[in-house]
Amino acid sequence: MFSLEGITKTIQDWLFSSFSPTVALLIECAIIILLAIALFALLGLVLVLMERKVAAHIQIRLGPNRVGPGGMFQTVADTVKLIMKEGLTPDMADKFLFNLAPFIVMIVAMLLLAPIAFAKNFQIWDINIGVLYVSAVSSLSVIGILMAGWASNNKYSLLGAMRSGAQIVSYELSAGLAILSVVVLTGSLQISDIIESQKDGWWLFKGHIPVIIAFVIFLIAVTAETNRAPFDLAEAESELTAGFHTEYSGMRFAFFFLAEYINIFIVCSIGATLFLGGWMPLHIGNWESFNHLMDYIPSSVWFMGKTFFLIFLIMWFRWTFPRLRVDQLLNLEWKYLLPISLFNILLVTLIAIMGWHF
Amino acid sequence: MEAAAIIFYLISAFILGTGILAVTTRKIFRSAIWLLFSLVGIAAMYFWLQVEFIAAVQIIVYVGGIVVLIIFSIFLTQQSGKEMAKPVTRRSLFGALAVVFGLALIYSIIAQYGFAEQATRPFGVTVDAIGTQMLSTTDHGFILPFEVVSMLLLASMIGCIVIAMKNRNTNDPEQQGPAGAKLMIHADFTSTQTDKEA
Amino acid sequence: MFLKEYIKDVYNGVTSLLKGMRKTGYYFFHTKEIITEQYPDNRDTLKLAERFRGEVVMLHDENNEHACTGCTACELACPNGTIKVITKFDMTPEGKKKKAVDTFIYHLELCTMCNLCVEACPTGAISMAQNFEHSVYDRNKLTKRLNKPGSKVREGVE
Repeated sequence: MFSLEGITKTIQDWLFSSFSPTVALLIECAIIILLAIALFALLGLVLVLMERKVAAHIQIRLGPNRVGPGGMFQTVADTVKLIMKEGLTPDMADKFLFNLAPFIVMIVAMLLLAPIAFAKNFQIWDINIGVLYVSAVSSLSVIGILMAGWASNNKYSLLGAMRSGAQIVSYELSAGLAILSVVVLTGSLQISDIIESQKDGWWLFKGHIPVIIAFVIFLIAVTAETNRAPFDLAEAESELTAGFHTEYSGMRFAFFFLAEYINIFIVCSIGATLFLGGWMPLHIGNWESFNHLMDYIPSSVWFMGKTFFLIFLIMWFRWTFPRLRVDQLLNLEWKYLLPISLFNILLVTLIAIMGWHF
Repeated sequence: MEAAAIIFYLISAFILGTGILAVTTRKIFRSAIWLLFSLVGIAAMYFWLQVEFIAAVQIIVYVGGIVVLIIFSIFLTQQSGKEMAKPVTRRSLFGALAVVFGLALIYSIIAQYGFAEQATRPFGVTVDAIGTQMLSTTDHGFILPFEVVSMLLLASMIGCIVIAMKNRNTNDPEQQGPAGAKLMIHADFTSTQTDKEA
Repeated sequence: MFLKEYIKDVYNGVTSLLKGMRKTGYYFFHTKEIITEQYPDNRDTLKLAERFRGEVVMLHDENNEHACTGCTACELACPNGTIKVITKFDMTPEGKKKKAVDTFIYHLELCTMCNLCVEACPTGAISMAQNFEHSVYDRNKLTKRLNKPGSKVREGVE
């Protein structure tokens, strides 16, 4: 049967048998970088199209349907347009930081790709602090946004950046606590351990109501962290034109746009890994034949299916809910999400200690 | 030279270079950004040493917390976009002197003791071990400092709440808000006068 | 009780959000609800809403007769001077002078399709048509004469 594990192993063996270890490692790095960039481009194209189609269908419209069959090449055309456009730099802007900011945002998104397990044994770096690494590095992306907002020398950009900073810093707490509840149940930060612990059922089903609460809080918090509606105050069109990327145009704007979608993909894949078992197929108790049937579906399909389901959920949020005000945003975090998740983590700890989960 | 050594020197050069830029640049926001890069470089150094937990904590605490705080305070400062004046020559002279003496002190200590021999077994600490040690009550456990630090954090949190809490005193102008609102609605001047008398 | 209020708040918030998501989810999965008209493609089968207003026309019957008496009520009702009625005096068989419409000028480029002229017309001579493809290369073509040449007022319409 087709398996990514076999392919990676074959390539690794071949490289190490025909080159010296250092050269083989360098070639592997190059392959990974190429794959990551290809994945970025593909994800950007697919997710933007998906967003526009989902938005259209929710609003009883058709969405893009002119370029290619069913509008499939719309985003390709948009990308070509963005490449052709001139990248302007405002006169009084801090030019160095202005040009650096989109790259920071992209690099952070790229770093976050490292610990994600795309399929069985198909992972760039199975670091032993996996989840902590993700929450640490994702806190870097706020720097890119603050830098862009400051360097643009524009009041809207600055306001958008400050809102975004306040939002990301505060919602990181509840996202972290939601992640922590699964870590408490698993007893490990490593992604592969977390997936392995869900062999006999996903945490969402095994962990009773507290894990479901943690899942909901995680979804809300990551929606806020990726600056998406209903938490898109940082780029609220009606108030701040486009927030921190008001002054950006051409390919540098595209970088911000792409990074937003890559970040959605990454947080959704983390959510799928933590709560929905990553690449683990759906197994139900003792139904041997059912479990066997599920094993035939490749693990990468399971992973992508779960991730895209979560992405769809987040898009569904975006096109359903109205934008929050700043005070509502902070109230939601500090008066509702944080106390609930603090209480929730106590419950989860109780479950973990008493061994009440399945 | 080994690849590991090359990477080490690259990271060190990055840390030192951005550190120097952080203190020499005359734009305060850029200074904060260079400081950030320097701290990220230190995190990279921890990754190079394969102490991933410390590296992640370095990023969370310094980059995600402290530098964001610094940047926020810069945003709220007036005229922070302006270039700062050049430092007085005398001041930079003394700064240079301090650097020289500091270097001399550190170098003398290093020269006296030298670097320790390379460890024979690989240095690897799991997160479990860190967690257990943090809460252990045995000889080399860290339960006491851990609890003391958490008391400190608790105290600062209570302080925050006290500062942010609304003053419920009757003299508070906020409390007189509704009376003023009533005045606007009814346009009843006699009632406000009785309020004042009362 | 504070805790009870708090839990009620959370419950109400979550249920109201779910209600909204149910509605949008219904629309997402029911593609036949889509109301987009793919206009140039479905030009032949295009169905416009009954109350859609495209332009003002004067109704003529098969004898090339209309119901306009030239009373200029529409001209007076028009808020932005779209209509100009030029009248003339016809001689009735009894030898009396009678006011009649000579040229009914309609400036489509000024019209906002407000329907006030149609409502003002006492004889129902004009109405709103649904044609909306008005683009021309010369804006003079937008100034139209609504009564057809050689047409006259229908018998019995006062």
